Amino acid sequence: MVTSTAEGTSQGRGATAPRLWGGLGAFLHRHWYAYAMVIPVVVVVGVIVLIPLLQNIYFSFTNINDSTIANPVLDRPARYEVVGLDNYGNVLSGDPSYGDFYDILVRTLLWTFGSVVFHYLFGLVLAVMLNRTLKGRGLYRVLLILPWAVPAFVSAFAWRYLFNADYGLFNAGLRGIGVADPPTWLGQSNLAMFAVIVVNIWLGVPFTMVALLGGLQSIPNELYEAAEIDGATPWQRFANVTLPGLRSVSATVILLGVIWTFNVFSVIFLITGTNNPNTRILITYAFERFFSGSTRDYAIAATYGVLTLSMLLVFTTIYLRVLRRQGEEAW
Amino acid sequence: MQRSTFRIVVAAGAAIGLAALAGCGGSSTPAESDSGTVVFWDTSGPDETPVFSRIAQDCAQKGGYKVQVEQVPFAQAKNNFKTAAQGGQGPDVLRTDVGWVAELAKLGLLADLSDTDAAKDTGDYNSLAVASTKYDGKTYGVPQVIDTMGLYYNKKLLNAAGVAPPKTYDEIKAASAKLGGDKTIFINPGSYYALPFIYSAGADLVDPATKKITVSSPKAVEGLQAAKGLLDAKAARTSLDSANAYNNIEAAFKAGEVAMIVNGPWAYSGYLKAPSFSDKASLGVTAVPGPTGPGKAPQGGHDYTIRQGTKAKPSSLKFIQCMSSTESQVEVSKSLGLIPTRKTALDNADAKASGGVAAFGPLLDSNTQARPSVPEYSALIDGGGPLAPSYLALLGGTKDAKAAADEAAQAFGPLLPGYTSG
Repeated sequence: MVTSTAEGTSQGRGATAPRLWGGLGAFLHRHWYAYAMVIPVVVVVGVIVLIPLLQNIYFSFTNINDSTIANPVLDRPARYEVVGLDNYGNVLSGDPSYGDFYDILVRTLLWTFGSVVFHYLFGLVLAVMLNRTLKGRGLYRVLLILPWAVPAFVSAFAWRYLFNADYGLFNAGLRGIGVADPPTWLGQSNLAMFAVIVVNIWLGVPFTMVALLGGLQSIPNELYEAAEIDGATPWQRFANVTLPGLRSVSATVILLGVIWTFNVFSVIFLITGTNNPNTRILITYAFERFFSGSTRDYAIAATYGVLTLSMLLVFTTIYLRVLRRQGEEAW
Repeated sequence: MQRSTFRIVVAAGAAIGLAALAGCGGSSTPAESDSGTVVFWDTSGPDETPVFSRIAQDCAQKGGYKVQVEQVPFAQAKNNFKTAAQGGQGPDVLRTDVGWVAELAKLGLLADLSDTDAAKDTGDYNSLAVASTKYDGKTYGVPQVIDTMGLYYNKKLLNAAGVAPPKTYDEIKAASAKLGGDKTIFINPGSYYALPFIYSAGADLVDPATKKITVSSPKAVEGLQAAKGLLDAKAARTSLDSANAYNNIEAAFKAGEVAMIVNGPWAYSGYLKAPSFSDKASLGVTAVPGPTGPGKAPQGGHDYTIRQGTKAKPSSLKFIQCMSSTESQVEVSKSLGLIPTRKTALDNADAKASGGVAAFGPLLDSNTQARPSVPEYSALIDGGGPLAPSYLALLGGTKDAKAAADEAAQAFGPLLPGYTSG
């Protein structure tokens, strides 16, 4: 009904909104079936992602904590109030009592790119090796996928024992070859960051490998044959056939890798706990603020959450734009 | 086309949001009723929990209600309880560290027991233990056990080296020449274990009377430096690997790799199970060392508290009174060597004969200092709290005592509203 009246008055001030609604009506009329099919997804995403996200953004502008939160069970009304940009000011000032933001940011970047670069390198090497026909290929594939099949917490605990400074296997080995004072891997130094990155690389390589292996198998064999006939060396074939053929898979793998690794919480939490400043990344610090302290500081945790999300959004946008400029669609 | 899609998503999201908000509104408070089943979160260690479960089941049988004992690791219990209780879930009864009572009570998560029998019958209890159940003049719990820390030593190793249990830091350094350097004492890098060094120097983390953060005061720094001094003198070792530290220390002491450690009575029954202490007499306990003589350790212990919002309050009340009865406490002391909070239990011959009570009981009078009644105090010394990384940095040598203490003081600031550094 609105549609028909709107169409007549399309000229002049204030006409933009009715016209849009009119367009929407026609649009819905044409595609109602598709939208009906999509509604369950929209509802689920709305309930489990969108609402918590909006709530999180709102909380980052308040002074909410567990003594000001409303509690229907205890008949206590909410007592938190909006404090504007105070939380962002405190966090972004780099004040150590709000987590030394820039230090944590550097560690997060180190953690993310250290992990993703090696995920990709090792994954690529293993995928290329497994892509040829060799004896027992099935067995190798199963063995290489194993780290992924083992629950992450089991692997994390196993690594924690391996890295144990006093009774761990690594230090036992080092003592065995004559190192008198082997390092405290998970202690108060950057070695702890190194150790957790090693574990994360170990955990993440199988996924990259499988994804790249899929990409390799989709490269037509004729290209290699043609290259061989043209007299291309193995390296040339790799650089000019394999790598370009993998580009779209690589783009997705790297994008997902960065986003996931940026937000990996379990590995650090399980190996060095949440209170080692040397392995603090944005997401573990948000957890610390949320769960420790006599009053849990939900507001600062939410602020860290929003900052993390914003950084990932900026990264993703730039990354996709660069890819598009190179003529690739990641998805 | 993309814009209209976006509009639909936003509109749908908003509609769902409103619906969800409307759904949250109408919860009502149920009338006080009793479900007859008490869920009890036991936070004791693996050596202790079988005994507590057994007593709990006995109590349930006698009292005519059901008890469901759930073991929750001590390190996670406070957080789990907070999360659960905020949402009206969780146990009916929690074994609560004395440091948590004020914090949880301040948040309104514990039931006020001031008007019940549990608050009236306190004459028999140790007064320090009773004080731990109170916050802001109200009673929130019943004392379970009281504890302090002492210096555990391996008598066989000390006798073989011909040294007496040390009373001062200098005596530890002297003894280390005969005990094999850093095999003398294993310093626990946990922040709770930093407290004896600070208390023995006559300092504390905070001073509630003047509302000052005192962890960086000269005396406290001196105390922290004493810990580092033992490491520097190669008379002690530590484990900076904080995730593995507690287990490594236990393993080293049980295996006889180190001669001494500082710990509380909760560890007593575990040590006796180790082969090197198969002869009970080779496990010795004395006061923690201090700068000039025996030092002071923090008073600890546990209380039974009831969750605010429980659906089984009358049964829970019966349960915690039964769990802390003289009979139950004697049983706990006999089996585990934990120190009872009731005077009648402490006077019981069976309890007195238990090694743990005999060892730690005397330390409670002269070598124990109560922690200040500040709700935020336990958050300062929690595993996830701000003292832990500073203390580790000191022990690891990345910061000197003053710098580590200053860093801790700064991190305390946001947790202690109204306090100033000084």
